[in-house]
Parts: sequence; structure tokens; C-alpha cells
Amino acid sequence: MPLTHRTVDRLGGTATAPPFPALLGRLLLGGVVAGVLSGIWQLLVTERAISPALALEEARGTGTVEDSGEMFSRTTQLVGGFVGALVAAVGLAIVLAAVYAALRHRLPGRTDGSRLIVLTVIGFAVIALLPAVAIPANPPAVGDPDTIGTRTAIYGAVLAGGIVIAALVAAVVGALRRRGTDHTAVAAAGTAVGVALLAVLLLVLPGTPDTIPADVPADVVWNFRLASLGQLAILWATLGLAGGWFVDRLTASPARG
Amino acid sequence: MTSSPYAHPRVAVPRVAVPAWAWALALLALFALYLLAQDNGAVLAQAGGVAHELFHDARHALGVPCH
Ligand SMILES: [Zn+2]
Repeated sequence: MPLTHRTVDRLGGTATAPPFPALLGRLLLGGVVAGVLSGIWQLLVTERAISPALALEEARGTGTVEDSGEMFSRTTQLVGGFVGALVAAVGLAIVLAAVYAALRHRLPGRTDGSRLIVLTVIGFAVIALLPAVAIPANPPAVGDPDTIGTRTAIYGAVLAGGIVIAALVAAVVGALRRRGTDHTAVAAAGTAVGVALLAVLLLVLPGTPDTIPADVPADVVWNFRLASLGQLAILWATLGLAGGWFVDRLTASPARG
Repeated sequence: MTSSPYAHPRVAVPRVAVPAWAWALALLALFALYLLAQDNGAVLAQAGGVAHELFHDARHALGVPCH
């Protein structure tokens, strides 16, 4: 019944849900594209922001083993960094596929592309932007090796708190929509709940225990933080846009039944 | 209760059937991300140490606390 299908398509999305393996395959493709793009950004931009920090460590003569190139040459480490960016993107894409498949029918949007963008914007906000505010990224030469445990615990707590807040906001928005509250009020309530919970999270969690050493210029730190945030933005944007584009090719195809 | 036009979704979007192996795979991917982001040799001992140094710059770039 092509007419029914077309009607359903226009109003609420595709008539049949895509099978998970196909969804996973498309998102993996998106993950590879996101990994390559963010890896290129890392090589061209982030590494350039890391270099002055490594030079500082070398000048101090206190560089840790990982920076002094004892195990790997710097070139090998650059390649390893690129591979790391790629692995991270593919890993995120696999997790994203399961989460997206489970939430797809609840996400706003008429196409998979737009739903996936909603989810990846939330992912970027919770997993990249929130930690960047709560416990900002640092280049080498800044961290105190003695506080790595504390910093890691804070970072983990920020991620966990962010995920819980996203789930709570989604629950509030979902409940209000089911009650028939109009869109503006739902958006206002969702924003208010989200902002209030984020404020509580940021107030309750301690900041980083480290202070930036006196010999590390502020622009070395900030260039690196911007490069890192830019890389995360490219990663998540590509996961949403490229992944969404690939999934749309799957679900928008009229050949599928 | 309410009879607002928003009370009834226009057309329900069908659910994707998420197989159990999808979650197993996601957990595996999370573990790989953990190793990439965090491993200091505690989990994989020597192999972890190698991965730690090889992926070092990616860890900083992704904003994960490092050395
Ligand atoms: Zn480091």
C-alpha cells in the first residue's frame, strides 16, 4: 500500500524500523569518517598545540617517559595519536548505534538524519562540552602526576552526572509532552530543569586540584584547549551528519519494506 | 485527561528491535574506549603500557585527564 506508506513517512517517519545490523553498519561508516576527519584535525591542529608543551617539558628536563620518546619515536606517536582518534570515533559509533536504536522512536525529528543530530548534539554537550567546562583539558607539562587519580575521578563523575541529567531532562520533557503541554512550555521546563541540575553538578563537584605551573604560558594552555574542543566538535558533528546521511540512505530508500 | 492536539502523537515511530548482542558490543566498545582513555597498565599490564604511550596524544586531544 504505497499511499499509506507515503502518508506515514510524511507524518511520523519511516513506516518500518530499520534492522539493527543495518543501522550499526551505517553508523560505523559514519564513525570511520568522523575518526579520519578528527584525526586529520589532530595531526594538523591539536599536535601543533601540544608541541610547545612538550618543548617545555624537555626544557625542564622532567618530561615523563611517555613524552621523552623512549618507547616510541615522536613520529610513531603522531601515527598512534591518529589511530587513537580513529579508534575513539569507531568505539563511540558502536555505542551510539545501540543507544540510537533504543531511543530512535522517542527522539524528535522526521528523518533519521535529524534524530541522529539531536542525539549527537546531546552527546557532544554531555561528553565533550560539559567536561570542558567542569575540568578543562590540559596539554602535557600541566598535570601533576600525583593528582591523576583525583582528576580522573572528577572527570568520570562529570560524565556520569551529565548522562543522568540528560536522562532526567528527557524524562521531564517526555512526561510533559504526554500530558499535552504545549511546545514552548515543554522547552522552557526542559531548559530550566537542565540548567538547574547542571548548576548543582558544577557546584557540588570539586574543580581540578592542579594549578597551571608558572612556566607554562596561558596561550599554550588555551590554544590546546581550543584545539581539543574543536577536535571533539568535529568528531561529534561528523558522527551526526555523516552517520545520519548514511542512515537516511538506508531508511529513505523506497525499495526497503 | 487533557484533550490537547499534542496529547496524541501523530504517528508512532516504530521501535528498532535491539538485540542483546548490540549491548554486548556496546560494552566491548566502552571497554576499548576506557583502555584508550585511561589505561595506565593496570588492566593489561605491559600491553596496556604500550597502548598508553602509543595513544598518548589522542588522550590529551580528547580532553581526558593525563599526566
Ligand atoms: Zn599525557
